Amino acid sequence: MSDNKHKAEHSHEEHLREKHLMLDPLPRGRMNEMVMESMMEPPTWKFWAIIVVLAGIVAYGLVYTWAKVIAEGLYLAGINRPSYWGVFIVNTVFWIGISHAGTFISAILRVFKAEFRRPFTRAAELMTTFGLIQAGMSIFMHIGRVWLGLYWLMPYPNQRMMWPNLHSPLAWDVLAITTYVLGSTMYLFLPLIPDLAMARDRTTGWRKILYKTLALGFRGTEGEWAHLRNAMNIFAFAIIPVMFSVHTIVSWDFAAATRPGWSSTIFGPYFVVGALHSGMGAVIIVLAIIRSTMKHMKYFIRPEHFDAIGKLMLIISMAWAYFFFNDYIVQWYGGDKWTQILLHYHEAGPYGWMWFAMLIVNVAVPWAVLWNQKWRSNPLIVSIVGFLINIGMWFERFIIVPVTLTINRAPFTWQQYEPGAEMPMGIGTMAFFILLYMLSSKLIPLIPVWEVEEGQMAHEFKKFGRETVVSVSELE
Amino acid sequence: MTESKVVDILAVFADIGPAADALDQLRAMGIHDECMNVISGVPVTEAMLGRPAQHTNVPRIALGGALLGFSAGAFLAFGVPYMYPYPIQVGRQAPISGPPSVIILFELTMLIMLLSTFLGVFLDSMFPNYRPMKYVTEVSDGKIAILIECPHVEEKKLTDALKKMGAESVEPAEAQHL
Repeated sequence: MSDNKHKAEHSHEEHLREKHLMLDPLPRGRMNEMVMESMMEPPTWKFWAIIVVLAGIVAYGLVYTWAKVIAEGLYLAGINRPSYWGVFIVNTVFWIGISHAGTFISAILRVFKAEFRRPFTRAAELMTTFGLIQAGMSIFMHIGRVWLGLYWLMPYPNQRMMWPNLHSPLAWDVLAITTYVLGSTMYLFLPLIPDLAMARDRTTGWRKILYKTLALGFRGTEGEWAHLRNAMNIFAFAIIPVMFSVHTIVSWDFAAATRPGWSSTIFGPYFVVGALHSGMGAVIIVLAIIRSTMKHMKYFIRPEHFDAIGKLMLIISMAWAYFFFNDYIVQWYGGDKWTQILLHYHEAGPYGWMWFAMLIVNVAVPWAVLWNQKWRSNPLIVSIVGFLINIGMWFERFIIVPVTLTINRAPFTWQQYEPGAEMPMGIGTMAFFILLYMLSSKLIPLIPVWEVEEGQMAHEFKKFGRETVVSVSELE
Repeated sequence: MTESKVVDILAVFADIGPAADALDQLRAMGIHDECMNVISGVPVTEAMLGRPAQHTNVPRIALGGALLGFSAGAFLAFGVPYMYPYPIQVGRQAPISGPPSVIILFELTMLIMLLSTFLGVFLDSMFPNYRPMKYVTEVSDGKIAILIECPHVEEKKLTDALKKMGAESVEPAEAQHL
């Protein structure tokens, strides 16, 4: 009897170990080896084939088409009067949204000490940095005459002695996005230093030179850890309001205008929640791909992580639905003639299918799927949901930007928007994002091994009466 | 002359527990905390090792950056509107209006604070540092190393003692290129 009891307890512990990375420690040396092998494994022909295809798309979309637009002018894009903002701005908002997931996961979950975050903070932070690169490029695409970009953005007096108008949300955008790009890149780099030092200790040749240079001479002395820990704490707390400010300010680009459909006091939080919605969806796709394509990643990224992110996605989907409805009902109830026409145009206009698709994939699909733990823990199912959410969130931005701009208070200007050169350029940014991610997966340790080890040190089994439970110590 | 020479010893331990015990015993043997440094692959806190708190300037540097950023924001928000040869009217806003100024102040404060925090790590840790350093690569594999500075005459005694304390290896520390 006692033997049976002991066996049952043992199998319960085994089950928990299989389920939770934090309870299934391996020696640090072995974990280092696994991360290094996953990174340095010679790429297969499939990898190179995808790289070539992506490079081709980037060459066509970002190099050729953009060069043509620069040479010939923005008439190649579909923007018109009154839809003077088109897919370039849609993509800017979309990519800034994607970038929110990194900060959410690595800063907010770090502050709240959510332990499941540990193995995938870096994968999410990389998404932030690469997403912001695409957002920045999309703004420059929209400028048209890109060589004048800095001239307009930097506070240098021009010939008319005018400085940028700092009362404009567009100038706030410049400040907010610059702050966020620099902040999130530094926040990506700081926790990476110990892993770069680990990579330095385990490589030779050009990789050794690269990691040695980037590790900056880090050894892991008490002082170095203390400075790093302090800095990461400051970053974790400070980057959160910056993250909120960025998408709020992006929303003010619209909300500060007195246009039907845009002038809304709820746009700030609505945009932030939307950003998190698409960002979490993107994180789950990235994690599913990393897990299925990179060696040893099944040890680090487990169904428990998809389950946890799936829960967050469900909550965020509910929050998004709440903000959407709140924005909609107030505008609808207001009874303003032009707003009524606009809302009808959203639902029944030529892009009405997008409006319905947006609601289905942003709300109905996540609610139908993510309530179920089994489905939520399945990387394939949950990443399909993430993919659909991203399509839905792109549609949402498309409806907010060019579709809304179509209807204004001067009906003689109404004209439907049809994207032109924006589409290949937008697809180019997507290909560039994936390309950067794939290449970086061969250069940057995607798993923060020291953070995983720290988490594993903090977890242990504890007996409460007859039950074995998991106990987490606070090591920081 | 030779007797006053100071040498460094690097002792490698498998875990935090034995390393913390060794630190206690070294202290009992008369080695001051300033003469010891712990090198680890995970952030082991001072409390875990019974070591004095590490001094760091990072929060101070961050605060300085925040003040600098606030000043830069104040210049942009309050100074720039008066740099024109003529007042520029934006809508019905005054040349300096409150709500937009708050945004400028916030973003600049955060930007320069974050930059300063980042630079603070570089300054305090003296990064980048590519000179030869005393280090063992086992540290990144989870071992804990204690770097001890001691008089040359005590090297043998200390080496033997560290081995008894459970050190996996005790070697004279030599600076090497990482």
